[in-house]
Amino acid sequence: MTRDVRDPYMDRKQLEQWLAEEASGHDEAADAAFAHLFAAVPRIEPKPAFVELAVTSALRWRTRRRRLIAVAWSTVVLLVTTGAFIAFYASPRLAAAAIKAVTFTSSHVIPWLVAYTKVAMEWWWTIGRVGTVIVSAVVTPERAVAIVGVELVGILALFALLRVAGAGRLGDAQV
Amino acid sequence: MAVEQSDAELARQALAGSETAYRDLVARYATPAVNFVYRFVRDRSLAEDLAQEGFLRVYQRLGTYDPERKFSSWFFQVLRNITIDYLRVNRLPTASLDELQDESGRQAAVDRDSVSPEQAAQQGELAVAMAAALARIRPEYRECVVLRYQEGLTHPEIAEILRLPPGTVKTYLHRARKELADLLAESGWNTNV
Repeated sequence: MTRDVRDPYMDRKQLEQWLAEEASGHDEAADAAFAHLFAAVPRIEPKPAFVELAVTSALRWRTRRRRLIAVAWSTVVLLVTTGAFIAFYASPRLAAAAIKAVTFTSSHVIPWLVAYTKVAMEWWWTIGRVGTVIVSAVVTPERAVAIVGVELVGILALFALLRVAGAGRLGDAQV
Repeated sequence: MAVEQSDAELARQALAGSETAYRDLVARYATPAVNFVYRFVRDRSLAEDLAQEGFLRVYQRLGTYDPERKFSSWFFQVLRNITIDYLRVNRLPTASLDELQDESGRQAAVDRDSVSPEQAAQQGELAVAMAAALARIRPEYRECVVLRYQEGLTHPEIAEILRLPPGTVKTYLHRARKELADLLAESGWNTNV
């Protein structure tokens, strides 16, 4: 099918011809008749600047992409060059400086850490001893018996309450 | 007399950096692209914007174009994906038949401004009614109708674009024509055939 069948107008005759072909079940003939009819459906013409705009967008994108690729390549080259320079010239000096820094830091930090851990441990033991003294002063046999007694009474009261509540539910169920 | 270059040849030259080839390609597909999108978004300005996006994406992906394939199939596939992506995010309001007819009438009037008075005089109400009916059928049917009867593609080409079996395309076209006939009858274009 080509666009040569395009006709600038459609009329009732074409419509009737298409419908007749559809009704007769001739699919190919109906297809052709409809194509002829459809050719007159109004088409939109893009604005005159459409093509220029599309071309400009594409060219702008191409320029941006080229720049991006150039920047990416420059970065890669720079990184590789710097890396090579460091590897050949600066790495022995840098390694020595790094080892010195690590040694210096650890030699200062480890004694500091040990000293503060010791102080913290001493505080911990002190607090522990104070706690033991307080507990031994507060907890006496009489007080312990009183506390256990109150707790037992409380448990018994709770048990009784649950029994009463349970009996009520069971009674309802039996009704 | 200069021989018109094929789409594939223009695409190859555009990929190699020819601005002229790309310009020719855009000029060749500008009207089909805008009309294809317009049938789905029903907004001329939006259709042009989406078509622009389609051309840019095509340019960006020219390297992936297989010259063995028909360029139009590949192009419409890209354009269709862009339109679908847009419609997924932005649901269009549904319009009544009257609104669609009014809109098509206005559009026809706009188009008449760019054609000769003789052609303008010949664009009739039936064309407007047909455009309005086309806007009301199922989108998958509309795609087939537009690609077949507006862009003149074959069943296998449409099947490739829509990723459907050719038989299904044929069925869709048959049903689309039936629905269009019913809608035209509803809007008073009834015949006694």
